[in-house]
Order: sequence, then structure tokens, then C-alpha cells
Amino acid sequence: MKGIRLSKKIVATLVKDQVNYPSRLIIDTFGLIARCGILLILYWYIFKINGGVLNGTTFIFTAWSIFFYFSFSVLRLRDISRLIMQDIQSGNIEVLFSKPMSYLFYRIWWQVGLGVYSFVVINFFATIILILMLGIPSTMTIGIFIPTYILTFIFSAVLSLLLYTVVGLLSFWIDDINPIYWIVDKAVMILGGSYLPIALFPVLMYKIALYSPFGATLFVTHTVSESWKTNWYQLVGIQFIWIVIFVILTFIMFKKAKQRVSVNGG
Amino acid sequence: MIKSNYMNKDSIIVSNLTKKFSFQVKNANSNWLKNIFFPGKKEIVAVNNISFSVRAGERIAFIGPNGAGKSTTIKMLTGILFPTSGKINILGLDPTNDRKKLAYQIGTVFGQRSQLFPNLPLTDSLEFFGVMYDLSDDDIKKRIAELIKLFDLGSFIEQPVRKLSLGQRMRAEVAASLIHKPKIILLDEPTIGLDVVAKKSLRDLLLKINKEENTTIFLTSHDVGDVEFLCERTIVINHGEIIKDLPTEELSKTFVSEKYIDLIPEKIFTVFPDLPAGIRYSLKDKDKITVIVDVKIIDVQESLRQLLSTFKVEDIDVYNVDLETVIRNIYERN
Repeated sequence: MKGIRLSKKIVATLVKDQVNYPSRLIIDTFGLIARCGILLILYWYIFKINGGVLNGTTFIFTAWSIFFYFSFSVLRLRDISRLIMQDIQSGNIEVLFSKPMSYLFYRIWWQVGLGVYSFVVINFFATIILILMLGIPSTMTIGIFIPTYILTFIFSAVLSLLLYTVVGLLSFWIDDINPIYWIVDKAVMILGGSYLPIALFPVLMYKIALYSPFGATLFVTHTVSESWKTNWYQLVGIQFIWIVIFVILTFIMFKKAKQRVSVNGG
Repeated sequence: MIKSNYMNKDSIIVSNLTKKFSFQVKNANSNWLKNIFFPGKKEIVAVNNISFSVRAGERIAFIGPNGAGKSTTIKMLTGILFPTSGKINILGLDPTNDRKKLAYQIGTVFGQRSQLFPNLPLTDSLEFFGVMYDLSDDDIKKRIAELIKLFDLGSFIEQPVRKLSLGQRMRAEVAASLIHKPKIILLDEPTIGLDVVAKKSLRDLLLKINKEENTTIFLTSHDVGDVEFLCERTIVINHGEIIKDLPTEELSKTFVSEKYIDLIPEKIFTVFPDLPAGIRYSLKDKDKITVIVDVKIIDVQESLRQLLSTFKVEDIDVYNVDLETVIRNIYERN
């Protein structure tokens, strides 16, 4: 009960903070327009010069798949790695460790709170604009779409947080986690279908995307594909298995990490 | 039974506490590959077998030079660091195993770090910590009202924290640490960077919460004023070991065998003759002479007799060295 109240308070306080200082919203909006917009224009052109069909898929499916990636990325859940690293490097971890809560619980909800305002505002308007400009693909009109989308979205968020938390926790052993963060982040971006939609993946790469934790963190991009209605439970199952693995890994790493805390040599 | 009652009055009991840090070091005799896979190890004993206890409501200064082991000890007391060996009992809890439970009973202030939301008014941070400490909404409101009154926060409570002066922010930090009425407050350099007025204001407030709420104060500081004004007892630590644990007012007597004597001339001083053994000049001025008397060599009465026979004075003042000199003396001696 205390956990729910505290998580609500963390999110509410950070939303208030974001509302008061909307610079992040502006940055996120421009980021989404620039990255997603440019990609959509490029793919629109590629589909056009290829007669409208590529690898058996059309532009509308590709556009929504890319949009789902970028809409998810507005949450910036991956930033938890750097937040943990900063806590350790700056010594701020001592302040958080002296509070009556789990450090990871706090950091996870903090990260959610940081991104949720931009996520809601930007996606509300971006979704309307995309619907008006491109319409809705048939795969998004079936009955199971919304509940399964919500389910895989939640699992994607949880898995993302866990994956990047594990990377962040490495800061207890490694001074600079940026190289590892960079490798993991690029693996997530590529296998998650950010720049190349998964519908255009060759078979081997598709399998890697399917069974690796990097691809599984972004199964939201699969929801728009034709095969989603038949294999969604398989994908959600894969996400669930990775979540269990990463929960165990996070737990073990954090237990070991707590014994390695050291701030200013003491 | 008597022992048990006494123990109940102790809020902190530390027994044979040791903390060792080990870290990897490059071995100059090995090649780079060997250094990656089989690096050398170095061990540092930050805290070495210390024991002490603190009674409920006491105000303790835990002082020592940089690297003495003060912050390491405070971090072990709060459960942030795990001891290598030894035991800590705070209000009946073991910080290593009961960190979260203990956090409800203690407050912490780390002078160089902020726990407040910089962009939001202070009320938001106080409400946030109220929820974190599981207070009901009504209790949070009541406690914030109490803290506003106690810490005189009213004039800036609605201002974003980043717009507060350092002094105001430190008052706010301490207030936030007291939202849950902790029985003990541990402060690590609370007055660092503050001007004299802000320092005094913060010390007054800490004294006030100690008197009004019987909060035990455990403080580390390099500021002698904090120790002198605030703490009735001082524990001196150096090289990880406690070298003295005594009432603050006895620090000077115990550690320094020197007295200072100021001599004010009838007219002006023109000559500064050699002084007897055990007395040396600290200040030679035509309007004032200050001498330092080593009472192990010559007692105060004899030194006064000698000085009065040498100089024609209008006024004379004998006093102890200031606490800063005492502490510097202790550190240098160790």
C-alpha cells in the first residue's frame, strides 16, 4: 500500500515539475518530429519507388511500427542507466540509501515520472496527426489490438527498465558504463525496429530480434504487423520470460552492489 | 536490571566497529594483460575497532581531519555502508539488516548534497518526504505547519528551492530531514559553505529541536563553531581510531598545556626583551603583547610575576587557546 502511494507521489511530483518547466516537453517534441518525421518521409519515398510494397508490407504498417518505437522512446526509460551511474559517481546514492525505501523502486518510478508527461502529451497529438495523415491499418482495428497492445506495452516498459537498470548497476563495478550502455542501446534500437521496421528484417535477424532481450523490449513495434493476431501470446510470453530472468539478475546484482557502496572513499 | 535500564537510554551503541576498503591497484612489475585479469589489491582500514555509545538527547560532535573515518562511520550508522566487523545498535536496530526500519527513526543531512526538488516549492519536497515516511495526509500537513514555525520557513516556503539562498536551503534540508520526527539526526558537514549568520541560525535551530523534541544530534564537521556551540560531547577520530571521547569543554584542558596572556601597555611598548623559559611571544606590538605560556614549564602565577616585572602594563588578560587551535593540535599530534 505504501509502495503504491509512494509511486503515485513520485510520478505526480515529477509531472508537476515537468508542467512547471516544460523545456523537456519541447525538446522531446522536436526530437520526435525530427527523428520520426525524417524516417517516415524516407520510407514513404522508398515505398513509392518500389511500387508501394516492400517485403510484403505497405507504408502504412511500416509508418505505425516506426511511430510505436518513437512514441515508446519518449518515455526515456533507458535513461535509468545513466541516472544510476550519476548517483554512484556523484555520491548522491548515500542520500537515497538513507531513506526508508528501496533505491531501485525509487529510481524506477522516478524514471517513469520523468517521461510520463511528455509521453502522454506528445503521443496524444502525434497519434491524432498520424491517423489524420495516414489512417489506421486494418491490424489495429481488430478486437484484441488494444488489450494486447497495452499488455505488451507494459511488458516492454518493465523489460526496458530492468535491462537498463542492469546496465546502470554495472556502475558499481565499472567506472564508466557508457560503452556498455551504447552497445545495449544500439542493439535495442536496431532489433527493436527503430530505423528498419521488423517487417523488413531478414529471417535470421527477425529471429534474433524475437528471442533476444534487446528486441523483446520493443515488441510494441510488432503489434501493427499481420502476424500479431496469431502470435501475440508467443511474443508476450517471450517478454515475460525475459522479465523473470532480469528480475532475478537485478536482484542478485543489487544485493552484491549494496556491499560495494563507497562515497568519497568512505 | 540496572544495566538494562542504562542500555535503554542509549540511542546508539557501537562496539568494535571496523570498516576496510579494498581496491584494485596496478602492479608496476606486471604487464598490462596481467594487470587486467590479475590486478593487485590494496586494503585500507577506514575505521579501526571503534566503540562508543550515545545517550538519547545527547549532542555529539564526531570530529577528525580529512580521511579520519568520520563519514565512513556515519554511513555505517545509517546502514549505507556495511561494516567489515563489529556491531552497531541504533534504537535497538541493526543498520545493516534493518536499514529501512531504521530510516523511519533517523534523519540524515549531508551538507554537500540536496534531497529537495530544485524546480518545485519547498512544500512539494516536504509533502513528498511525508509520503515517503508513510505519514497520513493530515499528519503531513500538521508537521509541515510545525516545521514552518520551528524553522521560520514561511517567507520562502512557496519559492522554488533553486531560488533559495544557501542558508535558506540548508534550513529547508534540515526541516525535510525532520518531517518524520526522527529520534536521531545525523549531520555530515551541515554548515559547509554557509556564511556566519546562516551558520548561527542553523546551529540555533538544531539546538532548538534538541531541546524541544529531544532529538539526539550526531554531527561531523570541520567547523569548530559547530562543535563549540552545539555539542556537549566530542569524539575525536584519526586514522580510523577514536583518540579522545570527552566533554567538549574539557578539550582545551586535556590537549593543550598552553595559556595565552595579553598585555596592554601603560603608554606603549618600546622594547621586547627575551622571555624566561616556557614563555614565548605570539604578538609583539607597541599597543599589545601576546605571549604563550607553556604551563608544563612555568605555571601561570610565576609567568605573571615575571611578565609584570619586565613590562609596565595597564591591563592583563589570561585565557585558553581557542578550540580551533586545540583541534589542530590534536590532529597534528596524531
